Amino acid sequence: MRMVHILTSVVGSKCEVQVKNGGIYEGVFKTYSPKCDLVLDAAHEKSTESSSGPKREEIMESILFKCSDFVVVQFKDMDSSYARRDAFTDSAISAKVNGEHKEKDLEPWDAGELPTSEELEALENDVSNGWDPNDMFRYNEENYGVVSTYDSSLSSYTVPLERDNSEEFLKREARANQLAEEIESSAQYKARVALENDDRSEEEKYTAVQRNSSEREGHSINTRENKYIPPGQRNREVISWGSGRQNSPRMGQPGSGSMPSRSASHTSDFNLNSGSDQRVVNGGVPWPSPCPSPSSRPPSRYQSGPNSLPPRAATPTRPPSRPPSRPSRPPSHPSAHGSPAPVSTMPKRMSSEGPPRMSPKAQRHPRNHRVSAGRGSISSGLEFVSHNPPSEAAAPPVARTSPSGGTWSSVVSGVPRLSPKTHRPRSPRQNSIGNTPSGPVLASPQAGIIPTEAVAMPLPAASPTPASPASNRAVTPSIEAKDSRLQDQRQNSPAGNKENIKPSETSPSFSKAENKGISPIVSEHRKQIDDLKKFKNDFRLQPSSTSESMDQLLNKNREGEKSRDLIKDKIEPSAKDSFIENSSSNCTSGSSKPNSPSVSPSILSNTEHKRGPEVTSQGVQTSSPACKQEKDDKEEKKDAAEQVRKSTLNPNAKEFNPRSFSQPKPSTTPTSPRPQAQPSPSMVGHQQPTPVYTQPVCFAPNMMYPVPVSPGVQPLYPIPMTPMPVNQAKTYRAVPNMPQQRQDQHHQSTMMHPASAAGPPIVATPPAYSTQYVAYSPQQFPNQPLVQHVPHYQSQHPHVYSPVIQGNARMMAPPAHAQPGLVSSSATQYGAHEQTHAMYACPKLPYNKETSPSFYFAISTGSLAQQYAHPNATLHPHTPHPQPSATPTGQQQSQHGGSHPAPSPVQHHQHQAAQALHLASPQQQSAIYHAGLAPTPPSMTPASNTQSPQNSFPTAQQTVFTIHPSHVQPAYTNPPHMAHVPQVNHEALARCGLEMHSLFQAHVQSGMVPSHPTAHAPMMLMTTQPPGGPQAALAQSALQPIPVSTTAHFPYMTHPSVQAHHQQQL
Amino acid sequence: MAAPPGEYFSVGSQVSCRTCQEQRLQGEVVAFDYQSKMLALKCPSSSGKPNHADILLINLQYVSEVEIINDRTETPPPLASLNVSKLASKARTEKEEKLSQAYAISAGVSLEGQQLFQTIHKTIKDCKWQEKNIVVMEEVVITPPYQVENCKGKEGSALSHVRKIVEKHFRDVESQKILQRSQAQQPQKEATLSS
Repeated sequence: MRMVHILTSVVGSKCEVQVKNGGIYEGVFKTYSPKCDLVLDAAHEKSTESSSGPKREEIMESILFKCSDFVVVQFKDMDSSYARRDAFTDSAISAKVNGEHKEKDLEPWDAGELPTSEELEALENDVSNGWDPNDMFRYNEENYGVVSTYDSSLSSYTVPLERDNSEEFLKREARANQLAEEIESSAQYKARVALENDDRSEEEKYTAVQRNSSEREGHSINTRENKYIPPGQRNREVISWGSGRQNSPRMGQPGSGSMPSRSASHTSDFNLNSGSDQRVVNGGVPWPSPCPSPSSRPPSRYQSGPNSLPPRAATPTRPPSRPPSRPSRPPSHPSAHGSPAPVSTMPKRMSSEGPPRMSPKAQRHPRNHRVSAGRGSISSGLEFVSHNPPSEAAAPPVARTSPSGGTWSSVVSGVPRLSPKTHRPRSPRQNSIGNTPSGPVLASPQAGIIPTEAVAMPLPAASPTPASPASNRAVTPSIEAKDSRLQDQRQNSPAGNKENIKPSETSPSFSKAENKGISPIVSEHRKQIDDLKKFKNDFRLQPSSTSESMDQLLNKNREGEKSRDLIKDKIEPSAKDSFIENSSSNCTSGSSKPNSPSVSPSILSNTEHKRGPEVTSQGVQTSSPACKQEKDDKEEKKDAAEQVRKSTLNPNAKEFNPRSFSQPKPSTTPTSPRPQAQPSPSMVGHQQPTPVYTQPVCFAPNMMYPVPVSPGVQPLYPIPMTPMPVNQAKTYRAVPNMPQQRQDQHHQSTMMHPASAAGPPIVATPPAYSTQYVAYSPQQFPNQPLVQHVPHYQSQHPHVYSPVIQGNARMMAPPAHAQPGLVSSSATQYGAHEQTHAMYACPKLPYNKETSPSFYFAISTGSLAQQYAHPNATLHPHTPHPQPSATPTGQQQSQHGGSHPAPSPVQHHQHQAAQALHLASPQQQSAIYHAGLAPTPPSMTPASNTQSPQNSFPTAQQTVFTIHPSHVQPAYTNPPHMAHVPQVNHEALARCGLEMHSLFQAHVQSGMVPSHPTAHAPMMLMTTQPPGGPQAALAQSALQPIPVSTTAHFPYMTHPSVQAHHQQQL
Repeated sequence: MAAPPGEYFSVGSQVSCRTCQEQRLQGEVVAFDYQSKMLALKCPSSSGKPNHADILLINLQYVSEVEIINDRTETPPPLASLNVSKLASKARTEKEEKLSQAYAISAGVSLEGQQLFQTIHKTIKDCKWQEKNIVVMEEVVITPPYQVENCKGKEGSALSHVRKIVEKHFRDVESQKILQRSQAQQPQKEATLSS
């Protein structure tokens, strides 16, 4: 070390090197090696007698002396301080002085006569700050002759008060004093004073980025606790809460829960927009959440505060936050004890009831009510905690929410009116919820249902389309779940605690409760943990997958992890495991479902639960939405399973549906936090929230997949946005790789997939994506297989798949096939396919474009980022492709009736999903995966069914598509959704046309934000495509056939397609 | 020895040794690298400058009679951070100077001329060889034999300044020669005395 230092300090100095033979070389010391080999620049051998310098020709550019070649090296006249980096020492500074510099002569300080102690004391006691004005005036006058015109009475500015002893004057004076006292004693006054004295940083107050909520909460809470809050402020807070709740009751209920969670989770992940959306969504819901988890809420509010008018309006950002913080702790506990139970029960009921009944509306409404009730309880709990009126205020909101739940569609429509952002978000949620429920109810009727809620709830309509119970359920559930979750979370944030206790069912509520309570994340973590634990117990799938999933989870849960950490370190591991398990379980469930619906349901339910937890955890991170989604997922899963059974119109179709559902669920779980949160937002966002929703959209996409079939579509859209998160996407991508295995081993693969999915996301790089994309096409089928195989599989898959795909494409209608093939094959292939597609389908562009775009995007975009960037480009390709596909689809639709339809759809779905995933980023990928997974199972059973379904589906799709369109948009962003959604969406878009456009735009915007151009472009396409919507579906179906023919994937593909078809039919 | 484990020389201790060229070296240990058997010593400056020192890097593989004159137990002072860029620039300029000097030498410039060039260069960096002429600041040209009267150029501060430098240079050289002579004479006297 010292050798290095000394040698370095002499670099650049002239030195003489004496070598073994006695020769001496002189040169500039250039450098040295660790082995002490020396390099001299401009070195020459010193001749003993040479008095003069070396000649030019004697100097060598540089000489390297091996350490073993020299005896002594001499550096002459070295200044050890030359290179010292002590520019600020006295010596260093003085050294810079020009000219001669010598030590300054020190002068002794002569205090002269020491001032008297009195004088010194006078100085110390002199409190005056500077000159007295009169002294200044005098000084200026004496020294400068300036005379001041200062008048101490300020007669120029005011009129002196003429005091007298008249009775009137005394009365007025007394009155004035009284008023002053009242004002100064008022809470408002104190609060405002407190504001001035508020020591929170602006960032703390207004930041849209929530740092780790768990930590934050912990810290914030502590800090807050430690801080003295003026009574006035406290009152204010309470008041504000009450007012806020009252103000934003409508939106509030759903939003409140979601708000916090979202804020927490989203803040970090989501953009401000998302935050705003959340806020908006929260608008109503937020209140409850704040109460439960003040800390989380406060941040969210602060962040969202600006965005969400209601909250702010109700109470300044500060007040809300403060109240929440305090209440948060109490609320969480209270909720756990009192309200939580209700919440948990509610979710359970919801899940149990919802699925069986199939009538989403009825179920949903109940759910909503429940949620609202839960929220109310929560809020009340919060309020109690906070000691504020909030309880009352909250109660009103709850009531409103519950009512609104009944009329979500109306509410939704209304929401936009109120405050576009908040209302819209809420409304979407509500809509989604309401719609989804309605969709389920209508289930087969979907189309009819859709129309009913149609305007406000295109999504709902879509959900109905899902018709296929499973898919519909899954989707709708997801949507509903999201909505409900959001609501639940918001409302149930208190319930979160309960959820912890009752992870599986209540997990959502728990998450919410947790969110509301202390830190949503924490609650989510707990929920997740619980869920995970449960899942672990129930399902311990492939460890490897778990590891990957762990990574994913970690990524996803980072936020949550923080909270988790806060909660319990142990929980994290378990949570991770659980996540993994969940994901795997989800995958498995998805696969299993498709394969054997009956069997799968239980698994699905489990998976759902697991997913739910995961989702919740994610949701917690992202926001309440996740929790809701989880719940929804669970419910949806159950519902889906039931639906599948019910939907069994086509056995295969049923199976497929389950898969789709399962897929969505997995996707949601993977994407969990963000996606969920996003989905819910997306739901809301569809209308206006879009920006915010974009992220949500990603999540939604995940949800979407399930949804796509039915109402879920709306959720899906949001989900797609959520999927955007790279992590998820990665995971999904990974999953895609798995597909092959999945095909073979759906269950196992699914298990693995989660992990793989998780792993891939982390690892996944843009380049990888391209490969993945390729793989994805296959993967899509295998989505369930998920990530595990990812890298390897990807590489393998691509090859296999590409051939297969190509073959399929060949087999299939050229256009449709081409797309699939492209997806499966590498980019080059894709390009070719695209070209072919373009060639083929110019006419049908819209639909195909939409569907194809997603695929293309996925393909084109190697990485998420690339995807995002590329999206536009991809879009272009897509558009062309879509055309081909569209044409094919149109043809295929007819064909689909025959055999191709089912397969092709699947491929399309997968591709779309893949694309969507790619586009959407991780979340999207996850969604895709889910979709893929779900599809695969279906394909397994359903090939024939799928076809038949497809045939029927076209119509169904069309109807459904109206809903889907919105989904489709998400789908673009979110691959998973894309797969299912795309078809539906396209159709829906085509039919929905304007509505869809509007929705899409909204979605797109939301989605766009995450995915950007691509999403928008797709949206545009979609909108334009509407007419071709059905065709698009057909195209997809056509594509699907190819997959079937080619490989196992194909079966999956077919299955997925079948599901889609079923959904459509339904 | 108080050297810490793994080290054979404690920094700050005085060490003397004899190289294979029968050269006696003594100095304060600055560093020792066991891997390469390199010992760095700090010796009083050969030129007698107070704040400077000669650094010797000794390859102990070719050294015998290593002897520790006195050991130092206190911990060595911390190492100051080095301004690497400054060192690098120094290395670059040193190399350029040497090359330019070599260029002049190869051109057949007399020793006086070289010395004058070095002296001027110390004060004015902007000087270079043009054939055998020294060009200072692109204004003053000093032609052989490099005397004050050889300084030519536009009359001005630059020319007068260069002339002062040249004048002082030769004055110093003369004084040095005298000094050397006196030094050379002393040994002779001593020799005579001794003899």
